[in-house]
Amino acid sequence: MIAFERVTKRFGPWAAVDAVSFTVEEGELCALIGPSGSGKSTALKMINRLIVPDAGTIRVAGEDIARLRPEDLRRRMGYVIQSVGLFPHWTVERNIATVPDLLGWPQARVRDRVTELLELLKLDPRRFRGAFPHQLSGGQQQRVGVARALAAEPRILLMDEPFSALDPITREALQAELATIHRETRTTIVFVTHDMDEALKLANRIAVLDQGRLVQCAPPLEILTRPADDFVRDLVGREEWGLKVLAVETVGQRVRPDGEAAGVPLPSAMPLRRALSEMVARGTDRLPVVDDQGRPAGVLHLADLVRP
Amino acid sequence: MIRNRVLLVLAATAVAAALALPFLSFAPNRLLSGRGIALSAVLDLPWGVALLPGVVLLAAPFLRPSKTVLAATVTAAILFAAGLVGLAGQHAAQLAATAAPAARTSFGAGFWIMETAALLAALDGVRRLGLSPPLRIAVGAAALALVAVQVAAGHLDQLSILKEYANQRDVFVAAVVRHGVIVAASLVPTLLVGVPLGVLAQRSRAVGGIVFPVLNVVQTIPSIALFGLLLAPLSALAGALPQLGISGVGLAPAVIALTLYSLLPIVRNIAAGLDGVPDSVRQAARGMGMTPRQIFLRAEVPLALPVFLSGLRITLVQAVGLAAVAALIGAGGLGAIMFQGLFANALDLVLLGAVPVILFAVVVDAALKLLVALVARGAA
Amino acid sequence: MRTVIALTLGLILASGNVQAADAVRVGSKLDAESGLLGTMILQMLEANGIKTENKVQLGPTKIVRSALLAGEIDIYPEYTGNGAFFFNVESDPVWKNAGAGYEKVRQLDQEKNNVVWLKPAPANNTWALAVRKDVAAPNNLATMEDFAKWVAGGGKAKVAASAEFVESPAALPSFQGTYGFTLRPDQILVLAGGDTAATIRAAAEGTSGVNTAMVYGTDGAIAALGLVVMADTKGAQMVYEPAPIVRAAVLEKNPGIKGALEPVFASLDSETLRSLNARISVEGQDVKQVATAYLKSKGFLK
Repeated sequence: MIAFERVTKRFGPWAAVDAVSFTVEEGELCALIGPSGSGKSTALKMINRLIVPDAGTIRVAGEDIARLRPEDLRRRMGYVIQSVGLFPHWTVERNIATVPDLLGWPQARVRDRVTELLELLKLDPRRFRGAFPHQLSGGQQQRVGVARALAAEPRILLMDEPFSALDPITREALQAELATIHRETRTTIVFVTHDMDEALKLANRIAVLDQGRLVQCAPPLEILTRPADDFVRDLVGREEWGLKVLAVETVGQRVRPDGEAAGVPLPSAMPLRRALSEMVARGTDRLPVVDDQGRPAGVLHLADLVRP
Repeated sequence: MIRNRVLLVLAATAVAAALALPFLSFAPNRLLSGRGIALSAVLDLPWGVALLPGVVLLAAPFLRPSKTVLAATVTAAILFAAGLVGLAGQHAAQLAATAAPAARTSFGAGFWIMETAALLAALDGVRRLGLSPPLRIAVGAAALALVAVQVAAGHLDQLSILKEYANQRDVFVAAVVRHGVIVAASLVPTLLVGVPLGVLAQRSRAVGGIVFPVLNVVQTIPSIALFGLLLAPLSALAGALPQLGISGVGLAPAVIALTLYSLLPIVRNIAAGLDGVPDSVRQAARGMGMTPRQIFLRAEVPLALPVFLSGLRITLVQAVGLAAVAALIGAGGLGAIMFQGLFANALDLVLLGAVPVILFAVVVDAALKLLVALVARGAA
Repeated sequence: MRTVIALTLGLILASGNVQAADAVRVGSKLDAESGLLGTMILQMLEANGIKTENKVQLGPTKIVRSALLAGEIDIYPEYTGNGAFFFNVESDPVWKNAGAGYEKVRQLDQEKNNVVWLKPAPANNTWALAVRKDVAAPNNLATMEDFAKWVAGGGKAKVAASAEFVESPAALPSFQGTYGFTLRPDQILVLAGGDTAATIRAAAEGTSGVNTAMVYGTDGAIAALGLVVMADTKGAQMVYEPAPIVRAAVLEKNPGIKGALEPVFASLDSETLRSLNARISVEGQDVKQVATAYLKSKGFLK
């Protein structure tokens, strides 16, 4: 869906993005991660041409984006930034309706879409429709920011450290909701973050950048178990590495199909780290597992968590 | 226990003025100085009653400033102010009955101080009540109406300032209109030049670096000097291109000078207003696919509007004042009346020109404050 | 949108000038006497069937004169003595002679500017000194010679005057030179501006010990406030007689102007002008009413 082909951007003598090539498949959530100055924001901003590359090509759905009028390109993508940037003088409804209005959608369709999105982002439409940004908390504002980005049903969503300015509790809630939205809408998402745990939690694929160079682009488990170099290893963090691996895999991946055990069953989609926590909390080394429909799927053994 | 120090100072000043300074001044003709007449000599019925609200003003500094007390203070202050004027008018009529037609009764220093103290007391009360702009305007209008009614009824006709008005009756309205025309005519070029200049100055540090220092220098040129500087080039231009219909005197130099003075507040406020637009708003707008024009019109302009309107308010009030000086180069307006009075050494004629200018400025200021309030409410 | 703005601008700027194209535009300076003379011109022209436009009391001398030369006004009352300054020939003694001065300025303005000077009024609105009655009477002061003798003999004179009067070689220095007296700096009170109303008032009220005022010959307040003018018997001052001056082209189009105005101006001697000025500046009567009343009383207006 999105392809970077040896893309380079220089600011003076220094290359912010240096001959980076990778692809993001349709429906994937790709996290761009790296320390400050690694070029991740710059790379993101080149996808909607807020920044123009000095060399290389970027293709979206096979098309070279340099050929399109920037405004048209941007109206087809959702864009969420850390500082949210809601228009203070417009209501929540009008803010969300920004791009549909630009595209000339009929009013009725816009209204319905706003209701739909408010519900999707867990904001009561009756209460929030007519509210103004200054009346909302930080978390609520960013929810509106995400809703605004999704309003025109874009196939691609670009997010630049959207949850970094929020408190941990709100951040977790929004991460969970993003995961749900991603699952349900199958939008392609490019997500910039400096928080490896966030990337591991949300992404299908992680692209690690170091001073403008792409160091590794792989699914989370591979980043954890087969890091390309020490830089990636350090980025992941050596402490509690084991728990991070457990966070990435799910119960369903290690369940033994036969057998029985006592206790409230674990859903098979639950991350193994949560399962470990449950076992410690309940003081047992095995728990029953159910699948998505609630049917018994086997037993999870503590020993299987630590097997190589 | 002193609850309102401001009001106490005003009341004390007014009492001191009433006792120590002349309330009115009576002169045998327009040129000679008059002899003072104290307030005590003037306190007759029926208009003496009009000073009773003054009792409220004397008591108020010691009362707890509840809403009732504040409202009573404001009402009393307005009534007292109108009462002072009425008392002066009554006494002037009494004096005129037995004096020569050339004799003049004018307001004395005591009157001015008491009147100002009363109006300031009203302002203080309005402020403490926290009234909204429309209500503030209503209070001001009421104060004005109480005096206007007396003028219309002819009660103040024997006061010197109104005797001067009687002489100027046919030119007075024309002067007021002309004054307004000068201000309005300068507004058009001010906005046409100032708005784009303000936008450019905010966007480009280089442009701002030239524009602001230049406008600052222009602002320091004394207005009479600027009119003088414009006289020669405009006359030359008028001579070369008579079809343009402009000249070195009159409306053209007045409008040009006023425009030059108005540019600084407008440009500064537009730049400040645009500066106040959060960068995140611009970023988000751009990232969502708004064209630069759409970002400007839909995001920047509405957010910068309140600051811009404040700048417009400052500009217009300044223009109303400067337009009075334009009379010196033949532009007419209320300034012409003021300067006639200066040349004839007739201070009440100067007042006849000056008081309307002040009222004009106050009205313009209030109207724009109302506009700012409406815009802010509409946006938020 | 832009055209609308440009048109509005153009209209506003031009509105000062685009009116009855053939009306004679009558201007005057800001002071009361000029206003009176200008108003008389206005009323006389209208009464004689000449359409006029009122630009009376337009501004100070420089503005009004420039306006005439630029063709923005057509006629206004000017003083013969001012010819000295317009044509930069101040030192020429001809200005101290009424007839010769008029002739000179008439010639110069006709040649250089195509401006016609009609016959002036026999009133000399020039600088003079006026002493308070209660000082003039006991000391028998009636002329500048008397005044000079009195001052030279130690008389306690204190003069209120403008800075221009004190410094201009044509003014106080000319008096001092012609009559042989000198005023010490502590005998002069300089008031800002050229305002004789302020100087007269100072002398009348004895402010700061002032008993003599700088006045103009036709000031209305002189007699009313109890001052006596010291006659300039030796002609130390330039002569300033008021006369209507009009652009030649306009006079050609409206020849009736001459006949309408000259008799009126001829009737205005110093005494008459002083009393008319007194009505305006001291009694505060309306200029228009004073003008009309006078013109009617002399039969110029029906």
